[in-house]
Amino acid sequence: MGAFLRISLTISCLSLFWISASASIPSRESLGIAPQDLSYYKSDVIKCKDGSKKFTKEQLNDEFCDCPDGTDEPGTSACPQGKFYCPNAGHIPLTVFSSRVNDGICDCCDGSDEYNGNVNCPNTCWEAGKVAREKLQKKIATFQMGVTVRRQEVEKAKQAFAQDKAELSKLKSEEKILKEHVQKLKEQKERIEKAEEEERKKREEEQRKKREAERKANEAKKAFEESSHDNSDHASEILSELPNQDAMEDHHDSAIEEKSDYTAETEILDSWAVGKVANDHDDTIAKSGDETDDTSEESSFSHVEKQHLVGDQEGTMPEANTGDYTRSKEAPSSHVVEEGQVSDNTEGLSREELGRLVASRWTGENAAEEEDGVNTVKEERHEHDENIPEENHDGYNSDSDEDHNFDDDDLEDDPDMEFGDHGEPAGTYSYNGDDKTDYSDLTASGSLSWLDKIQQTVSNVLQAINIFKSPVNISEADAVRKNYDDSSSKLSKIQSRISSLNEKLKHDFGKDKEFYSFYDHCFESKQNKYVYKVCPFKKASQVEGHSTTQLGYWDKFEESYRVMLFSNGDRCWNGPDRSLKVRLRCGLKDELLDVDEPSRCEYAAILSTPVLCVEEKLKELQEKLKDANANRPSVNDEL
Amino acid sequence: MPSPASRSPPLLLLVPFLLLLLFSAASAWKKDEFRNCNQTPFCKRARGRKAHSVPSLSTADISISDGAVVARLLPSQPLRQATDGDDPESDTVPPRPLLLRISVYQGGVLRLHIDEDASAPRRRFQVPDVLLPDLDDRRLWLSRLSSPAAGSSSFYLAEGFEAVLVHDPFQIQVRRKGSGEPVLSFNSHGLFDFEQLRAKKNDDEDWEERFRGHTDTRPHGPQSISFDISFHGADFVYGIPEHASTSLALRPTSGPGVEFSEPYRLFNLDVFEYLDDSPFGLYGSIPFMLSHGARSSSGFFWLNAAEMQIDVLGPGWDDPAAPAKDRIDTVWMSEAGVVDAFFFVGHEPKDVLRQYTGITGTPAMPQEFAVAYHQCRWNYRDEEDVAAVDAGFDEHDIPYDVLWLDIEHTDGKRYFTWDRVLFPNPQEMQGKLAAKGRHMVTIVDPHIKRDDSFYIHKEASERGYYVKDASGKDFDGWCWPGSSSYLDVLNPEIREWWAEKFSFENYVGSTPSLYIWNDMNEPSVFNGPEISMPRDAIHFGDVEHRELHNAYGYYFHMATSNGLLKRGNGKDRPFVLSRAFFAGSQRYGAVWTGDNTADWDHLRASVPMILTLGLTGMTFSGADVGGFFGNPEPELLVRWYQLGAYYPFFRAHAHQDTKRREPWLFGERNTALIREAVHVRYSLLPYYYTLFREASVSGIPVMRPLWLEFPADKETYNNGEAFMVGPSLLVQGIYEERQKSVSVYLPAGQSWYNLRNGVSYAGGVSHKLEVSEDSIPTFQRAGTIIPRKDRFRRSSTQMVNDPYTLVIALNGSFAAEGELYVDDGKTYDFEQGAYIHRRFIFADLKLTSVNIHPANLGGKFPSDCVIERIVLLGLPSGAKKAVIEPGNREANVELGPLTLRGGSSPDAITVRKPNVHIADDWTLRIL
Repeated sequence: MGAFLRISLTISCLSLFWISASASIPSRESLGIAPQDLSYYKSDVIKCKDGSKKFTKEQLNDEFCDCPDGTDEPGTSACPQGKFYCPNAGHIPLTVFSSRVNDGICDCCDGSDEYNGNVNCPNTCWEAGKVAREKLQKKIATFQMGVTVRRQEVEKAKQAFAQDKAELSKLKSEEKILKEHVQKLKEQKERIEKAEEEERKKREEEQRKKREAERKANEAKKAFEESSHDNSDHASEILSELPNQDAMEDHHDSAIEEKSDYTAETEILDSWAVGKVANDHDDTIAKSGDETDDTSEESSFSHVEKQHLVGDQEGTMPEANTGDYTRSKEAPSSHVVEEGQVSDNTEGLSREELGRLVASRWTGENAAEEEDGVNTVKEERHEHDENIPEENHDGYNSDSDEDHNFDDDDLEDDPDMEFGDHGEPAGTYSYNGDDKTDYSDLTASGSLSWLDKIQQTVSNVLQAINIFKSPVNISEADAVRKNYDDSSSKLSKIQSRISSLNEKLKHDFGKDKEFYSFYDHCFESKQNKYVYKVCPFKKASQVEGHSTTQLGYWDKFEESYRVMLFSNGDRCWNGPDRSLKVRLRCGLKDELLDVDEPSRCEYAAILSTPVLCVEEKLKELQEKLKDANANRPSVNDEL
Repeated sequence: MPSPASRSPPLLLLVPFLLLLLFSAASAWKKDEFRNCNQTPFCKRARGRKAHSVPSLSTADISISDGAVVARLLPSQPLRQATDGDDPESDTVPPRPLLLRISVYQGGVLRLHIDEDASAPRRRFQVPDVLLPDLDDRRLWLSRLSSPAAGSSSFYLAEGFEAVLVHDPFQIQVRRKGSGEPVLSFNSHGLFDFEQLRAKKNDDEDWEERFRGHTDTRPHGPQSISFDISFHGADFVYGIPEHASTSLALRPTSGPGVEFSEPYRLFNLDVFEYLDDSPFGLYGSIPFMLSHGARSSSGFFWLNAAEMQIDVLGPGWDDPAAPAKDRIDTVWMSEAGVVDAFFFVGHEPKDVLRQYTGITGTPAMPQEFAVAYHQCRWNYRDEEDVAAVDAGFDEHDIPYDVLWLDIEHTDGKRYFTWDRVLFPNPQEMQGKLAAKGRHMVTIVDPHIKRDDSFYIHKEASERGYYVKDASGKDFDGWCWPGSSSYLDVLNPEIREWWAEKFSFENYVGSTPSLYIWNDMNEPSVFNGPEISMPRDAIHFGDVEHRELHNAYGYYFHMATSNGLLKRGNGKDRPFVLSRAFFAGSQRYGAVWTGDNTADWDHLRASVPMILTLGLTGMTFSGADVGGFFGNPEPELLVRWYQLGAYYPFFRAHAHQDTKRREPWLFGERNTALIREAVHVRYSLLPYYYTLFREASVSGIPVMRPLWLEFPADKETYNNGEAFMVGPSLLVQGIYEERQKSVSVYLPAGQSWYNLRNGVSYAGGVSHKLEVSEDSIPTFQRAGTIIPRKDRFRRSSTQMVNDPYTLVIALNGSFAAEGELYVDDGKTYDFEQGAYIHRRFIFADLKLTSVNIHPANLGGKFPSDCVIERIVLLGLPSGAKKAVIEPGNREANVELGPLTLRGGSSPDAITVRKPNVHIADDWTLRIL
């Protein structure tokens, strides 16, 4: 090889353009240098690119590092920060770390990184290049189709957006009208009810008087009949009432007593309540409102404790505990109790329970869980594609990714990636959130709009009823009520529709509103026993049988609309809140392809969608293909 | 509604319960799960004793027999009433005589053996297979007892040392001949107590011990031993791992001015979220203590594997009015076993280490890859994950040598199996790593899943290879797989059987690039007392678990290591990382400091912990970089890499609940900082490997306390923040967040070169230095030469043929010395002499490479490696060129960077491309 090197030195001028099929070794003076950089090395004294020093032509690639930045050793491993350029004729040129030069491992498909003879690297550029080009072509084809689909989608999205906007403004004006009607009906209804109430009182008064008269008549009659008897009935009646009265007093006393006790306990609890905040944090907040007047049977220990905690939370929580606070907040209180039992009350446990409990400290699993808790974890994972984290990366774009290693599998964002290894995408469907109400009557069209109908009826009703007529005409009153009910329910429907439209429209749907249709869609993927549901702008969850774990709620787009982030999902024991990053990439269909948990409770998924098939990227790919073809070696390479 | 008053009692009862519960949830370390001294009868009894309160023993029938001193020990005053009133278990029956035997070994080692005589109801356990098999050949044949004074006998120990046996009360002293200055003494405070085995006096005598619902049947009753050892001329004592501490020297645990403290406990335990500073026992035990002072260095080792508690007594403990100067008294207490104790007399601290490793063995020579960087996590989940992590290192140009798989790689925690879904092609996976010169480590723990379809369990239960419980059934405890049994590795036959399991044939899916990790071998038993095995479990030879507990992990480590040795037909050096350890574990592999936590204090504690392991033979050790529990802030992670790069064993590891923390996940800047830290280690690999060689020959650790190199410099005696890597490199850790400056003490006698800026600093002074984020302070000692390799590869494997750089730091007389050891990094051929060992000597402007490979050994290791660069620190300017002999070649001398990494390395005088071969003799003259 040394001899070879010398030969190539003699023909160094030629070698710039001369490319050999097998071990294509350029001269020492051009070894590892990218063609566009060759002119930099022309002069006799060359500057280190970082400006730190100068070196002579003899020092170029002389296996001794003169420039700390590696300028003088592009073709050897002498500089730790150097970069080596492989021409890779037949494929795409690649720049590798100079630590790869002559390390016994073939990194460049043309083998140019291994020239010291320790290892023979066959030139695989032609095959690899062919495969890569084919992949690239396929990808371009997908993009080409995708771009068309995307255009249609964007058009649709724009229309839908405009429609929704229009609907919103229409609904808003309807709401205004309807509000007035409802107000009128309400007043009418109240008047009717007032009149009815008066009538009722009048009737009652009459009846009372009537009964009073009857009673008096009866009493007079009785007294006359049983004047020799005790008023025993009456007495017993009084007696039977007595205990009730006692109870009343008791209640009163005990309330006071309780209050004083309560204070005492509060003081006792003072010293440890801080720790307790941890478990009951949520409960505390939820219950704090109705506690002061809670004198019911439930006013037990836990009540006192919680009430005290509210106070604590208002500002006396010592710093030292905040760490634990956040930590155990996530833990269901039952777990803390279990942990407590470990340290305090293990004697009551079976040996197996004890073993599980202790194991659970490390694993964080519920100790009561069956042995296959481990398997649960296992099945959560699945074979994920190693390319995922590199999605952004483009191994062949050597301009922007100099550091990147050449790798045949690197065409990662190939939209035609085989899905064999992934969970099946179970398809997409429209969003069926809890807030979904039927708005069909709002949008139903007829000869007469529902609003006109209501308007008509209302004015009819209002005109028809003489409120001062007494007694109130029942059927008329019912009509008012019914109308009121109908109208106000209609109003609340309109209002809820308005708010849901507002909710929808406030989101960022991308530059071209291209994600508009995502709003009402969910994407599903089944993987092992889990079904993953991703509903953009809403939430993402993992469903196993009947149990659902929230992986996160809609947060935002990231990386200029290439990633959807869902965060603040269900909290993990001893871990963070769950979150999900959905990476988007160009594909002809909307498909959720892969869900993975690369880090504890931090999920990742891929969603292929035409929305990502943007024209600029297509052009970029076409450019790349052009380059790849241009870099095709001369005819002798194909021999 | 009932009155609340009627509810109060249960409520009040509930409060303390909840209180406890909450506090225990807050503090993760479950203190009350572990016994303290007061809950441990033998410890409580022994600790309560005052000096000279134990009925004393006297020697009788002293004689020389078989070249050793033998005697019988009897009560000083026959039938004397026991005064040990606080001792409920003391026996008033006159004890049988104890048999004493003192032997002396080459190199200044005295061995004291005390056991019961043959009439004892049972043979007490003596730990086998720890002492080197050739120890007996090195015994000195004593022939003569002298009587320097009435009531004592003396005999030769070593050049300048003698031992004195005082007859009544019995006492042993090791002292300097002539001056009579004592070095070590045994029982000089009359605390020697030996509970002899006896039959139960009556049936209602209760020998059982209960702890947290566990009952120890203690069928053989109390049998503890305790005694006092005094280290004379000592300023500090060190050693007796494993404890977490931020102090290198052992702090007193008892005596005036000591607040309540437990004794140092030696009891191998799996401690969940251990504290960074506590005398409680952790995963391993080495009952070896060293002392050092300006005048003397000595050591004491008690070969005993039962629970041990050791008190370091503060000055004045025996007499507050007259606290002893220059002496440290200690009390050693053990639950069972015999007295088999070794006294090491120094002179220098390194002598003590040589003496200790002379009997327990020097550290095994590791394979070169094992000295490089290891990447671990609980868990790398599947083959794709492994591939992605592997690719991540390449993508970010960070070298690493070993990828680790934790328990989840197995099929249901059945070790030696693979989860076939996650790891369908383990061999292919290892092959891909091996193609880049990388290795893999899988975990194999000692608990065996009780599953009849699991072949290991099937064989082990059929052959009766499990530890038995007190009732004689196979012990069944809970660990990762659930119900598990534990191999009785005390039995050599079982160890042999176990070793066979590592053959490529038996361990399906293993390849030659796969090595092993032994975890949980304390042993950890989740539902056992103190998360371990009951003390009344029964081992081979009717040995109770209490008697060998601390050595259980040692035997397991040994068996595994032998398995890998067998697997490679005795040619491939094993690599086995163990969590539990005992004296002698250094012969079988590496250890680490277990489940630490991602906080700054654990970072700080890692240095005293690793230094202590090194002082007690276990030099191949490290702490989990980043901290096992919790998520380190990026700054802490970076600092941990910067420090961990100097640990002898350099591995990053993380708990499964933590966020991913591969080096490139924290932004470009942090990636660059971590890359730089890892690069530092890779560039120093030739130096580290040379130090491992030294350790394997002499027992001197790779990572050393400053005082080991500077025994006369008192300032260094309790410095646990800085350490030496070998004789030449001083490293100061940074242990605080956003630290702006640090005070570094540089030992006296030499100046020091800061390896970041090339500046020379005076020794014997504390320097306040600015702290930058890009490195921790490191200094090369003037007068030393460090060999480096400054080219970075994917892994150490590709560095084999790379050229060297020599960094020469000149002292005041422009001289320096250093060594380089090179072998194939893999096999035992070095034992036949297949290695290169050079000493580089620089003096009179001439660098000479001297062969220190012993000529009589023969053998040769071929290498074409050259030295591409020589950096000279401290040379006055004016050097023009270098002339190399033989050949009268010239090389240029110019200014060049001190390191090639990073952007801002200072320039130093550099010899450019001398290209001399490391295998050859040559000289290089600077003109």
